Amino acid sequence: MMTFKMAYRNVLRQRRRTLLTVMTMLGGFTLASISIAWSDGNYNFVIDLFTRTQLGHIQIHSQGYLDKPTLYNTITDYEMLGRTINNYRGVVSWTPRLFAAGLASVGHKSTAVRITGIDPVRETETTRFDKKIIEGRMFGETGTPEVILGKGLALTLKAELGNELVIVSQGADGSIANDLYNVVGVLESGDPLSDQTSLYLRLSDAQDLMVLYGQAHEMAIVIEDLDDVEEITVGLTEAINRPGLTVEPWQEFARSFYNAMQADRQGMWIMLFIIVLIVSVGVLNTVLMTVLERTREYGVLRAIGVRPLQITRMITYEVTVMATVSIVIGFILSLGINYWLSLEGISFGTFTYGGVEFSEMYSEINARSYIIPAITVITSAVLVSLFPAIKAARTVPAKAMRTH
Amino acid sequence: MPSDKNKDIIVTKNITKTYSDNGIPVHAVRGVDLTIRNGEFTAVVGPSGSGKTTFLNIISGLDTVTDGKVWLDGKLLSEMSGRELSDFRRDSIGFIFQAYNLIPVLSVEENVEYIMLLQGVPEKERHERVMKMLQLLNMEGFADRLPPKLSGGQQQRVAIARAMVAEPLLVLADEPTANLDSRTGGELLDLMRELNQSTGMTFVFSTHDQMIMGRATRLVTLKDGRIASDERRD
Repeated sequence: MMTFKMAYRNVLRQRRRTLLTVMTMLGGFTLASISIAWSDGNYNFVIDLFTRTQLGHIQIHSQGYLDKPTLYNTITDYEMLGRTINNYRGVVSWTPRLFAAGLASVGHKSTAVRITGIDPVRETETTRFDKKIIEGRMFGETGTPEVILGKGLALTLKAELGNELVIVSQGADGSIANDLYNVVGVLESGDPLSDQTSLYLRLSDAQDLMVLYGQAHEMAIVIEDLDDVEEITVGLTEAINRPGLTVEPWQEFARSFYNAMQADRQGMWIMLFIIVLIVSVGVLNTVLMTVLERTREYGVLRAIGVRPLQITRMITYEVTVMATVSIVIGFILSLGINYWLSLEGISFGTFTYGGVEFSEMYSEINARSYIIPAITVITSAVLVSLFPAIKAARTVPAKAMRTH
Repeated sequence: MPSDKNKDIIVTKNITKTYSDNGIPVHAVRGVDLTIRNGEFTAVVGPSGSGKTTFLNIISGLDTVTDGKVWLDGKLLSEMSGRELSDFRRDSIGFIFQAYNLIPVLSVEENVEYIMLLQGVPEKERHERVMKMLQLLNMEGFADRLPPKLSGGQQQRVAIARAMVAEPLLVLADEPTANLDSRTGGELLDLMRELNQSTGMTFVFSTHDQMIMGRATRLVTLKDGRIASDERRD
């Protein structure tokens, strides 16, 4: 207790120097906290946007489909599974999808396409499909076969609304699948590459074409909170309890997207390294000056019987006191800034993704944006102070007491 | 508390200390043999550079010898580890320095209490002993003051209290009156002599102050690192 008391009072001895050191650590903490909160807010925003408007947070496939997507590897009772999914806590909606490849022609123009059969109502509920249509309209509820084209594909085929489009493919029964569809809409999904080859049919029309009645290749699920994705994935796997099906979170079925996000996030460690450097230099400077100034005092302490470890402890306590004060003030300061950034955001101009218009990016208030900077500041400060602290502890009393 | 007057507290055998000053060897102490008994009030005197302070540093374990051996209360210092030496100093030696060397961030009471705290003396006992010692030194009214707020004489009183409160075997005082006026210095020396007589505690001074020499029961004179004379005044 006395060692701590001495450390605390020593901190107050050189107020200006203490203030500078606290400011350095405070700056490091606040900068790190704001950066992490901002980066988390942005990454989670992009991830949520991409999954919520395209892929879904969780997907269900027949075992092996993702590794080898074939026409024949389907989910046969998706409606029944859907009832289980609908009842699961945290799930917002689900939608079935059927995929196939084929050749599409409008007039004399033909190209290879990726056919996606969707349930218009469920897809709209789940991924805001209707918002992505930039020209024309959504599928009618029933009636003649209709098709919605990706923007790039419409340009390739020089297709216009009202044109007739012919699809030729192979049905699951081995027959030649072909039919005539009326172009009712053009869509911009947010993924231009995909839009160059994608066309969308009603699920029932796609099932008729591919002779896959009542079947789907994929069920995409959107949940309320992205953070719950792993827990809900595990829960759904148990609730569905079907070994022939795989229930996977977006990190699994969109691995390359996930890896790209993770790689981008590594930039945070570079920023933390810079903060460690700033804090370390500030602390090292202070502690070295302190040790130099108090050499005589350490000599006296050693002379009267204070053990070297107690001197090391006293110096590290001093640094810990300064780091703690910095963290407390930094926490309050960064909480305020992060809160403001989470409400107001920063505007980067208006942009549209997946049919959703955005103009601001926001911070996210989470525990890690305070815990990581706190650990970084306190660890780097204490580690850096150890070198001069050990030096002070090893002072030869007789020599140290000759110092003025 | 020491009481056996025939007991040897400090024994040095042929101790030598040589250090280098810009590459030139300086022989601070050369072959000193000395035995100091329990309860002695000894002054080590000599001109500047005669090796007084080095001798005191060596016998307290604050500095090492180049050659020779030192026993303190029967224990050979060179055989003690750094930690044992620290503990030994804490428990057996009280230091009084020329520049007082109080801990500036601790109050008078805390400065005096600190060694007992390191020794693990219970709080109540610590407080009682501190107050008794401060009373003895007429410093009880300054218990809450910080050292920089005290005069030189007052600081030296606190230093004496700190050195003696844990009832060490030996008190080493390096030029304790050098920064004090002669009246204050005389008062403090009388006080130390009283404590020496009442408690039997051993005192060793390094000094060239005539007041100390006048009160010492033994006068060891060093010259060029060697004992030039050793006079007992019992």
